[in-house]
Amino acid sequence: MTQPPPAATTTESRLLEVWGDTVDQRHLVLSIVLGVGLGAPVFLGTSWLLGMTDVAEGLQRSYALLAGIAACLIAAVIAARLFGPKRTVEIGAETAGSRQEAMDAIEAEIGPLGDPDELPARLLAEVRALGLYDDLAAQHRRRTEAEGAA
Amino acid sequence: MDILELFAWAAGMALVGAIVFGLLGLVSGTDETATIAPITLLVILLGVAPVGVFAFFMAAISAKHITHAIPTTLLGIPGDTLAAPLLRDAQLLRELGVPHIALRKAISGGVIAAIIAVPVAVLFAWILTPFSDAIGAVAPWLFLAAAALIAVVSKGRWRALVALVPFVLLIVALRDGSTAILGTPLSISFFLGIATGPLILDLFLASTPRGRARMRRDAPRVFELAADSRTWSGRMPNPLQVLDGRQAASTAGAAVVSSATFVFSPVAMTVLMGEAFAGRIKNGYRRLTSMMAIKNGTTESTYIAETLIPLIAIGLPLSPTAAGPANPLFNAPPVYTIDAEAGTTNNLHDMLEPWQFLVFGLLAVIVAVLLTYPFAMTQAHRAASWIMRKVSHEAVIGAFAGLIAVICLYEGGLVALGVAIVVGLAGGALNRLVKMHTGVQFMGFYVAVLTVPAVLALLG
Repeated sequence: MTQPPPAATTTESRLLEVWGDTVDQRHLVLSIVLGVGLGAPVFLGTSWLLGMTDVAEGLQRSYALLAGIAACLIAAVIAARLFGPKRTVEIGAETAGSRQEAMDAIEAEIGPLGDPDELPARLLAEVRALGLYDDLAAQHRRRTEAEGAA
Repeated sequence: MDILELFAWAAGMALVGAIVFGLLGLVSGTDETATIAPITLLVILLGVAPVGVFAFFMAAISAKHITHAIPTTLLGIPGDTLAAPLLRDAQLLRELGVPHIALRKAISGGVIAAIIAVPVAVLFAWILTPFSDAIGAVAPWLFLAAAALIAVVSKGRWRALVALVPFVLLIVALRDGSTAILGTPLSISFFLGIATGPLILDLFLASTPRGRARMRRDAPRVFELAADSRTWSGRMPNPLQVLDGRQAASTAGAAVVSSATFVFSPVAMTVLMGEAFAGRIKNGYRRLTSMMAIKNGTTESTYIAETLIPLIAIGLPLSPTAAGPANPLFNAPPVYTIDAEAGTTNNLHDMLEPWQFLVFGLLAVIVAVLLTYPFAMTQAHRAASWIMRKVSHEAVIGAFAGLIAVICLYEGGLVALGVAIVVGLAGGALNRLVKMHTGVQFMGFYVAVLTVPAVLALLG
């Protein structure tokens, strides 16, 4: 979303941004194959097996669904073990920049995040405790300056 | 059955319902109708006393709509069908680094709305029954007006409004086509397609070389998870301290309004209440956090009211929730029955007194809240940090792709899967090209299902 990558880098990086986060393209394909490949056959297989028993028809479908859901969860656990996250997480760190990018992206979608000083007392205390106050104030300043310049 | 025995059945079954569906709420994409209806049916067929069945169901829906906010806010994928309208706001708050705040706002709203909805629904059951036909008659036109309004006030403005026309026509065509093949109309697959449109479009683009080149990144994305903050005092979290005064008041207001309109779809009401009560808040942070509380509150209040009002007043499943997840409470032969020809019922409507619906409904909701809320509140930050450090996005997408496949196959085989993918691609593209967000698309679905037939009836 931020840097348009030059074509030359495509040989090195396998990272893609999908649905708001970075993934490795091979790991993504394998995870989807695992999820669909485990979930769908387990669902269909369970329906087929239950079809040969005298379990009530309405319940057969439900049990098969639960089995399919369980299979997807197992697929998630396997995929999470095999493939680690491709994101950098900074917890409570005072880093400018990462949040500015996020804020720009959010403002592009929903409009201004607004001036934190206009928040009611409880929400103001909340953004201060979260360490968001300075970032929100800086974002608001940048925005008003940009609008003033335009 | 003496009073002590009634309380024992209610409390015991509420505990079971809250535990089972509190856990199931954590699993993304577990549609309410697909999971709550069959398990409630099982409980009925096992011979549980009526008051126990009722408490089980009420605790199940309340608990699920608390814990469904956990995957929705922390992982960015919808916990169930009713969580889908919260997804976009939750994802934005996650990008801001405050997924735990999104979660706390959502579930605090849920608690307030759930506790308000029980007495309000009992009251409305008594007042509103004579008018339910009139409400149903104007519904198609209300949805048309609401869809247009939400489109125009969205970021896409007039483009989103214009784009509604082809989108609605696509839904009509897909719905008619799939109904002709399957014999029954699809709905879960449409919701899944709309909610996951941006994901489906991204995956489609990632399979083409040009799309891949545009999505290529050199470095992993950086997330800044904000510091943990306890915004309540004392050991037990208090929803009234987590929300500010206006957020709590709007959540309560939305709960009252959405309890009254028990004939409307819960998904549509969730979108509508969010827009009506928080759509015009200027400050972005305040709007997003208010949206979480109001929308999740509406997921609780619609479910509770749409179950209680038809159960108490009518005895027939005359609301979307009663026709879906709550259907076994009305009709579970041979235990509970509806004789359509004679117009008689023998179900919870006949087996429980109105005061029992109020007292045991409230009891079940409180059991569910006490079991799920404190845990989710206090563990929100730890869970968010663990997930962001340990659980890869690939694993989440892979499992979710599997769930979409399983749930669509369950609803209508390969036809349903095709519908979800086509709706997802179209919705995802409209989202990107004309900024038509999923809330507008959900309303588009209801225009296709309710308004279009009404228009055709007028013309024909």
